[in-house]
Amino acid sequence: MVPAQWYLILAAGIFCIGLFGVLTRSDALYFLMSVELMMNAANVNFVAFSLYYGDLTGQVFALFVIALAAAEVAIGIGIILVLYRNFGDIDVTVPTEMRW
Amino acid sequence: MSSVAPAWTALSPALLLGLTGLALLLVDTIRPNERSNTSMAVVSALGALASLSVTVWFVIAGTGHADAGGAITLLEGAVKVDTLALFFTAIFASVTALVVVAAHDYFHDHQRPAAFYSLTLFAATGMALLAVANSLAVVFVALEMVSLPSYALVAFLKKDRGSVEAGLKYFLVGALSSAVFLFGISLVYAATGSLIFGEVASAVESLDALAGVAGVGIVMIVGGVAFKTASVPFHFWAPEAYEGAPAPVSAFLSSASKAAGFVVAFRVFTEAFPLGASVAAGIDWALAFAVVAAVTMTLGNFAAAVQEEVKRMLAYSSIGHAGYALIGLAALSTGSAGNEAVMGAAMAHLLVYGFMNTGAFLFVAMAERWGIGRTFEDYAGLARRAPVACTAMAVFMFSLAGLPPFAGFFSKYFLFMGAIENGFLWLAGLGAVNSVVSLYYYSRVVRAMFLDDPATPSALDAIDVRPTALYAAVVFAAVATVLLLPGFGPVIEAAEAAAAALF
Repeated sequence: MVPAQWYLILAAGIFCIGLFGVLTRSDALYFLMSVELMMNAANVNFVAFSLYYGDLTGQVFALFVIALAAAEVAIGIGIILVLYRNFGDIDVTVPTEMRW
Repeated sequence: MSSVAPAWTALSPALLLGLTGLALLLVDTIRPNERSNTSMAVVSALGALASLSVTVWFVIAGTGHADAGGAITLLEGAVKVDTLALFFTAIFASVTALVVVAAHDYFHDHQRPAAFYSLTLFAATGMALLAVANSLAVVFVALEMVSLPSYALVAFLKKDRGSVEAGLKYFLVGALSSAVFLFGISLVYAATGSLIFGEVASAVESLDALAGVAGVGIVMIVGGVAFKTASVPFHFWAPEAYEGAPAPVSAFLSSASKAAGFVVAFRVFTEAFPLGASVAAGIDWALAFAVVAAVTMTLGNFAAAVQEEVKRMLAYSSIGHAGYALIGLAALSTGSAGNEAVMGAAMAHLLVYGFMNTGAFLFVAMAERWGIGRTFEDYAGLARRAPVACTAMAVFMFSLAGLPPFAGFFSKYFLFMGAIENGFLWLAGLGAVNSVVSLYYYSRVVRAMFLDDPATPSALDAIDVRPTALYAAVVFAAVATVLLLPGFGPVIEAAEAAAAALF
């Protein structure tokens, strides 16, 4: 069996890739994908340690997270849609009606 | 209570909110052309008030109290109804009731008001669920249940660029911080092998090689809490979201949603990561919260002092108040007898804040309804045209500043006294200095309304509109703020009893 710490490193790596995407991309759709990556990094931890400890909590919670991530994307796409209608772009740096 | 009714009825405050939201959605779906804004608002307000009454009844009857059989746990211990949960549910239900009543006038000409009412009630359901969460899984699910409707509510005015921009920024920071929060939970699970608070706590006591993993996880959970409570370093969304959102939504987010962040913080950090065990494992979260509280209150108050728009000033002031309430966590020390006093005071402050801050934002909602502009100057001379509402606003402002004859004074006094008794004189001192600063910008609003002359004689002609429901909500919030003065004794006792159950 693969030692548990390798899963931790894998998850941390995926999380950092997602975080890098969030910080460097200004396209709202890339942002959604990057956040999805960060949430799935947590899922890797949940599933791996569920196996390691031999209880099902982590696996069941990972299923919850997948559903919640989908709901979050649904809301996100809705907001991106009205963003496009109002500003004609999905670049998150474009709207500057208020001071940031 | 538990001896005569099935245990699940302890969840009825949350269930009532959720069922009301579903009923509104159902009516809007099957009779889309016959819905009326008024009946929607009445039904939502009744639902919120029913939830509030049941909560108050539970508190009086002693549900979940140590004397009446202790906390009621459900669903394999993942949900726990105790006095703390009921105390915060009362805050959420009161704010929800005020907001839906005020929204009746604010959205009087909106095309689809039903979505607003049901989203607000779903978010309130999530908050009530957050208050009873006893597992990190439930915390995360409930947190998303609060956040997702909130994003939609902020961006509710689809054709208003400010509202859409605010919704986008709230969503960007919110999605990022919930991913960070989730990763933190996964690291805690990796280190402890459980998500139930009690089991996490016993595992934290015997961490060895995995203490580092748990430590990073806890720091990430602190980050998630900081987002929900609009504290530094995750506060950037708050001024934008509160300014751009429809004012009733700002009221809802800055009072109820912030209190929801605090109930999570109080419960997770006292029950899942007890301070003594955490410090032994090298994770001193109280120190982290002390730094966050100090920076948050200072930044919030000083930034509020330089604002030109009332709504944005209130947004920064709400960041400052998050800093005060964080003292409730920051000023804890291992085994100290004063812990329950300081946390109880923070809870009482959040209750008082729920009324005064909601009222202040609803006054801004009324000004937006009148269409008189957003800056301090636009409010000049308002008291001559709308004396009752302006008196209510003055009550909110002085209470927020913490002046003696108002409820905000007592909650702040108990909070700072609790911090001093626990040996955190510097935090209390910093809080007092910040309160003095806050007096400057709060009194600017009162001065503009009562002393200044309007820029032009016709500037206030738009006030002929009489939004009755908004008026009622603002006046009721003011009455509650004043009544909490004689009523502060029972409130602080209930809050301290609720906090005592955590230690």
